[in-house]
Amino acid sequence: MLKQVDQAQMALPIMRITLGWLYFSAMLRRVVNVPAKMIPSSSAYVGGKLITFIPHAWLIGGILQYTILHPALLFDFLVLWTVLEGLFGLFMMLGFMSRLSGLIIALLAWGIGLGAGWIGTTCLDEWQIAAVEGAAALVFVFAGSKWLSVDQLLVKKYPDGLRIGRWHIPLW
Amino acid sequence: MEGGTYRSGDIKMNKFLALLVIGLVIATGFTMVTYQVFFGGFTDLHNLSKTPAYDLNGTRVFTNGTVLMQISRVDGPDTYGGFIVLVQLIGPNGTIVYQWNAQQLGSIPASNIHNQYPLHPVHADGFALVVPLGQNASVVLNVPFALKGGTYTVRAYDVDGQDSAYGISFQATVKAS
Repeated sequence: MLKQVDQAQMALPIMRITLGWLYFSAMLRRVVNVPAKMIPSSSAYVGGKLITFIPHAWLIGGILQYTILHPALLFDFLVLWTVLEGLFGLFMMLGFMSRLSGLIIALLAWGIGLGAGWIGTTCLDEWQIAAVEGAAALVFVFAGSKWLSVDQLLVKKYPDGLRIGRWHIPLW
Repeated sequence: MEGGTYRSGDIKMNKFLALLVIGLVIATGFTMVTYQVFFGGFTDLHNLSKTPAYDLNGTRVFTNGTVLMQISRVDGPDTYGGFIVLVQLIGPNGTIVYQWNAQQLGSIPASNIHNQYPLHPVHADGFALVVPLGQNASVVLNVPFALKGGTYTVRAYDVDGQDSAYGISFQATVKAS
């Protein structure tokens, strides 16, 4: 039994690194490749993408409208989103705090899916992305990462996760 | 910590299993529910980003010849278009009272276009009136003569020649005021 679990763990980096890169590279494209994507006055500004979600967004249409009508809020939201993608995408690749990273990435995937999920001119593109990334990320909330990861070092030193008072938070 | 070391009946294992089942339900739920919500995948499969559609509800016609065309792009690709190349004003007896061609629509001054959202504005590009996905604008069009009272239809045509898509007619029928 134990051996089988270990073998399953050894397969997980195949998914972890690609999943992490999908998020980390989203930050790179906006900050390194084409910084104009983050400049509100630029025609490349990605804040405008939120407008395209509005017609058939599910549950979050009102929030999207409010955000778009308040450009300062939209910019802050975009910065926060980009930081979360970059940070937790990198953590996922490194296998650092994999359970937490998995949870954050699942929420990012499903969150954007509620808005953009109906869009897809080739296939059901955005829905496919959100569904598979959300499910994949959630796997790491339960599996953690015990091979080729920073967490495998942490778990040796702190086997019960992060300890705050009497609480043990299983970040890895 | 190793999952494999748990014995059945172990409290930690039961808690883990309960959370795992909740996770399974949430992930599968998102996938299946949104498949239906966004695409009607289990009933009437559709993809609303294939071709542009426009909603003209809220359009107003005035007897002094001013037409306030309220246009919103509700379907179609997110990265391109759509392009309105013909707008017709159809009178109470069904004849075309006036129409604006691509050249006229493509040169509407920005001051005559009022966008609801600050980004991705509806604008004239010299060839057509460009209506980006999700934007909702009110566009001032002028008929060079006064209109009789009665019911008018304002109808828009996309550059692909369509005046309807997904069951939505790109038109509004209103009483002139």
